[in-house]
Amino acid sequence: MLVYDFIRWWYGPGWCGVGRSLQRRLHGLADTFSVGILLRTLFAPWRRIISYPGAGIGDHLRALGDNLVSRCIGFVVRLFVLVAAAVSSVLLLLAGLIQLLTWPVLPLAALGCLVWGIF
Amino acid sequence: MPEFELDLASGRARRARYGRRLGAVGYGWLLALALICIIVAISLRLTGHGSHWLSLLGAGLLLYLPAAWWRYDLRDVQPGPSSTITDRLAGSVLRQLDRRTAYTPRSLWGAIQRDWQVQSLCHHLLLTPDMLMPILSDNPADLAIVWEAASQLSPDRSRPLEAGAVAAALILTVPTIGAVLASLNLSERDVLAVAAWLDRDLTVMHRPQQSFGGIGRDWANGFTPRLNQFGHNLSLAIEHHHAHFGSLVDSPGVQAMKAAFQQGTNALALIGPNGIGKTSHAYALAQNLLIGSSNPQQQHRQVIALDASAIIASAQRPGQLEYLLTTLLNEAVHAGNITLFFDDAQLFFQSGPGSLDLTQILLPILQARNVRSIFALSPHDYQQLKATNANFAGLLTPIVLQEPPADKTLEIIADTASNLEGRHQLLITYEAIKETYALSGRYELDMAYPGKAIRLLEQALSHAEQRVVTARSVQAAIEQTTGVKAGTAAPVEADQLLHLEDQIHERMINQVRAVGVVASALRRARAGVSNPNRPIGSFLFLGPTGVGKTELAKAVAATYFGDEASLIRLDMSEYQQESDVARLLSGGEHETSSLILKVRQQPFSVVLLDEIEKAHPNILNLMLQLLDEGQLTDLQGRRVSFKDAVVIATSNAGADQIRQRIEQGQRLEDFETELTDQLISSGQFRPELLNRFDEIVLFRPLTPDELGQVVRLMLTGINQTLAAQNISVALTDAAVATIVQVGNDPRLGARPMRRALQRAVENTVANKILRGEIQPGSQLTLDASDLQPPQ
Repeated sequence: MLVYDFIRWWYGPGWCGVGRSLQRRLHGLADTFSVGILLRTLFAPWRRIISYPGAGIGDHLRALGDNLVSRCIGFVVRLFVLVAAAVSSVLLLLAGLIQLLTWPVLPLAALGCLVWGIF
Repeated sequence: MPEFELDLASGRARRARYGRRLGAVGYGWLLALALICIIVAISLRLTGHGSHWLSLLGAGLLLYLPAAWWRYDLRDVQPGPSSTITDRLAGSVLRQLDRRTAYTPRSLWGAIQRDWQVQSLCHHLLLTPDMLMPILSDNPADLAIVWEAASQLSPDRSRPLEAGAVAAALILTVPTIGAVLASLNLSERDVLAVAAWLDRDLTVMHRPQQSFGGIGRDWANGFTPRLNQFGHNLSLAIEHHHAHFGSLVDSPGVQAMKAAFQQGTNALALIGPNGIGKTSHAYALAQNLLIGSSNPQQQHRQVIALDASAIIASAQRPGQLEYLLTTLLNEAVHAGNITLFFDDAQLFFQSGPGSLDLTQILLPILQARNVRSIFALSPHDYQQLKATNANFAGLLTPIVLQEPPADKTLEIIADTASNLEGRHQLLITYEAIKETYALSGRYELDMAYPGKAIRLLEQALSHAEQRVVTARSVQAAIEQTTGVKAGTAAPVEADQLLHLEDQIHERMINQVRAVGVVASALRRARAGVSNPNRPIGSFLFLGPTGVGKTELAKAVAATYFGDEASLIRLDMSEYQQESDVARLLSGGEHETSSLILKVRQQPFSVVLLDEIEKAHPNILNLMLQLLDEGQLTDLQGRRVSFKDAVVIATSNAGADQIRQRIEQGQRLEDFETELTDQLISSGQFRPELLNRFDEIVLFRPLTPDELGQVVRLMLTGINQTLAAQNISVALTDAAVATIVQVGNDPRLGARPMRRALQRAVENTVANKILRGEIQPGSQLTLDASDLQPPQ
């Protein structure tokens, strides 16, 4: 009964749990890297460092230039983090998929190694 | 399988038992051995030594399999898909149950009684598990009722049925439990409340890790270096300390603030009395925004509380303060995600030591609607702001916080108690929580719930006995802070109360009925059987002058409250004008004739209102409220309780009639009602006032014999004075009769007696001392002939 219960769990809720765990970790990673927020504010000025235009056309142009630089800095920083998040997600996904695929063969592999090693 | 039938042969029950057998220790061993095998196998393979690396690897992997099973399943077997009790029961309960046992409520209790939840439930109710064992049913058929009750206690089908709910169900389904709980001063409602309290604790313990937006949350918002220096970031505090404000996060107050901001309002006045939780609401709003459950796009919004004292203290030169405030406000505007919280906002609106008038700096910013702000104000301060700065007050959207209802307040106190238990490593019983609610409601009238109850509970911690906070600890705390006697009567004290009349008669002659009525009222109050929302006792003493009305009030103060100084005496003839009402109700510290102030300073007292009939009618109207509700409100709107006071009003009205009828041989009881009716019909007293007194007590004139006893009582006082010189005086009967004869005045009762005694005895003794006729240590007996003729 013990072995039956184990096999039933391993190939049922246990295997599904590995998939759910991967899903949770991917979600957590996206949250840690603020993916949603960074995508929404991708072109926003960096830390709101902006210039307010004066009265003349020159002031307007200077403010426009300053703000463009701030937005560029913001874009670069956010893009860098988004790329880091994407790379981390891919690595996590790969590791998760490997775990997901090896999970069902693990009991058989364990038995196989033991038997093969002894005999 | 029926819903309330437990199937211990089910796969879930089996897995729960596997989990118990393996346990955390077994899991640790399995994992360690698995790792060792795998590491050794890999090492052997890499170094090329040995031929059994493959079998070692296989053994390691095989050991890992049950370890993984325990880690991800057996450790805490998740609820099954059906609504049967077998699938709903928490793994921690299921693992305690043996397959071969036919469980009854009693054996089930035995199986789970060591579970921490059951222990917690019992300890908070001051029950011992062994106490319940004999009264639990031993019939297996009764178990279905227990499961059904447990299921009703935990109706959320998505959550497992925990041991706490099962234990509460076991307790509540005992047919005789009502009597058992009553003997412990508990009720079934208390058991339900503690089970719900435990359930809330479990919810907090098992709540998933919260997401606060990640590393890039604030990158689209400006830096706030000065605000960080002079303010306290509530949002970051919650994020860093994982604080949780429970149900307050979605309370009506927080929802109202969010709704107001979403509708475009930028400035809120959070109005509520001290203790209602204005600061907690600001924290709860910060947490609500941070969690972003209803609107993730608000997660970047932060609430910063400005510290008025730090801001004022930092300003060294004139103008520096205004410059700093402008900088702070500009920073908040520029950051774009800041909600400023002005706690104790009145400090920012008034000029004076420790405060500053910020309105002129804030006004343009509020008008431009550039920054969100919340101003925490008491109702009084809000009204004052409206009166002094209507423009500014007009820009604020008021949100009035209400005191939570009683059951919600008890929940808040209990949840706070859980935090205090963890922080101070002690146990707070549920009776202590109930007592905190009751006593803070009764004695802490300057604050609102739940703050006043939480403050009292914190004070009670220092009175814990053997690390347990009980109702007695709470009573001790309130006794220490207010001086009131909140505890139940101790045996010695109970004996004193039972013989209160004897003690009073040690200093009062006759007036047996008056003394008896007052003593009975005091006993009722101390035993807790009188109405707790009115004064301990309220009496109208009617009778001629000098018959002991004031003396009885003093005797009550001395015997019941322990000190004659507990008497608060007001001569109501000094309150005959309408303007005197303000004097009576003034809360100012320098108003010596304020009744409010005296009772606030000394709530446990005898309030003696002499010559009540002479007071202005408006003051008599106040008396109606005092006698009815046991409280008055001062001119500042603060309440003061008279619920621990004995209120005695005296009057000479009807004195002549009492004297005449007694001289005609009538007894007081014979004409009591008739006299009261006459006082009403003659317009001397309004019926609504007389009806509000617990008792109207008539005092009869003293007979010459009683006056003689009064003389002897007074002589005791004189002897106490002479004791300093080691001299004592005694009077013969003839001497006493002489003094009574000289001092007796039917209109003034015993009052002239003291003067007559002083003149006759004290003068005689003084002359004898000066003449050297008596020495220290002498005992002097005076006869009528020895007495100096009174002048």
